[in-house]
Amino acid sequence: MAGGGGGGDGEPEFQIAPMIDVLLVLLIFFMSITTTQVARVLQDITLPVAPNAAKKGDARDESVLNIQWDPATRVAKFVFDERTGEKPDEFVDTLTRRHRLEPKHRLVIRADRTVPAKHVSAAMAAAAKAGISDVTFAASPR
Amino acid sequence: MARSRKSRRSSDENSDVGFQIAPMIDVVFVVLVFFMSLTSAIKLEHELNTKLPGTAVTADTVEFPDEQVIGVNPDGQLLLNDDPIPVADGADLVQLLNSMTRIKANADAAKTRVLVTIASDPEAPYYRTIDVLNVLAAASIDNVTFTVSDEL
Repeated sequence: MAGGGGGGDGEPEFQIAPMIDVLLVLLIFFMSITTTQVARVLQDITLPVAPNAAKKGDARDESVLNIQWDPATRVAKFVFDERTGEKPDEFVDTLTRRHRLEPKHRLVIRADRTVPAKHVSAAMAAAAKAGISDVTFAASPR
Repeated sequence: MARSRKSRRSSDENSDVGFQIAPMIDVVFVVLVFFMSLTSAIKLEHELNTKLPGTAVTADTVEFPDEQVIGVNPDGQLLLNDDPIPVADGADLVQLLNSMTRIKANADAAKTRVLVTIASDPEAPYYRTIDVLNVLAAASIDNVTFTVSDEL
């Protein structure tokens, strides 16, 4: 690591203040990024298993729609950007806006493995209404 | 240690703050622990891509591909062109994979495209649809459409 400052004839000394500055900036940066990433996906959803699915690529312009399923009440809940709705159509406006900004915007559907197919179909229909044709299903590799 | 003493002496004389290793290690450990705890919360996910149908160009000649229909019943039972496919719990749908691989090979030999339509019952479990997509990915079939009869 490079030493900072130092006089003309003395031994250069390590400057702690800029070092801590940089570390704190890095910490805040990673905290905000990671929190955003974690907030987009609900951890309590049990994804279906698909060993032949492709590995998730690097960060692309995408939205994540989570579909939770409560087998006791048989009610599906759609969670999108920390907003919860009973139908995916509630998020069409946001999706349309994002699609206009970036035509290659894609929708990642993260649905619980036991959710009935009609709810996933409704999510795909919402993507179609927003003009998004690139739809991806999230799956667990094992 | 000698360097540390020298540094402390120097800071006393010049009012200059020398390098303090303890707070730096504090910060680095906090960052380390933070990311370690987050890493355990992040699960590795894979993805199955699909393209929703868009508007067709009507001036072009439309070639009708060889269409296969895979039905998914509410109990998870699979039908390939109305023929039931045995599905055991925990099985890898070997028979469906063999059938789809053969169909794909025949289509490639005939230079046609295979179109697979997944016709799920509205109450069919989603994981069975993903099972079918998983088999289609293994058979290198990417021309897939979905139908579900009911709307929400």
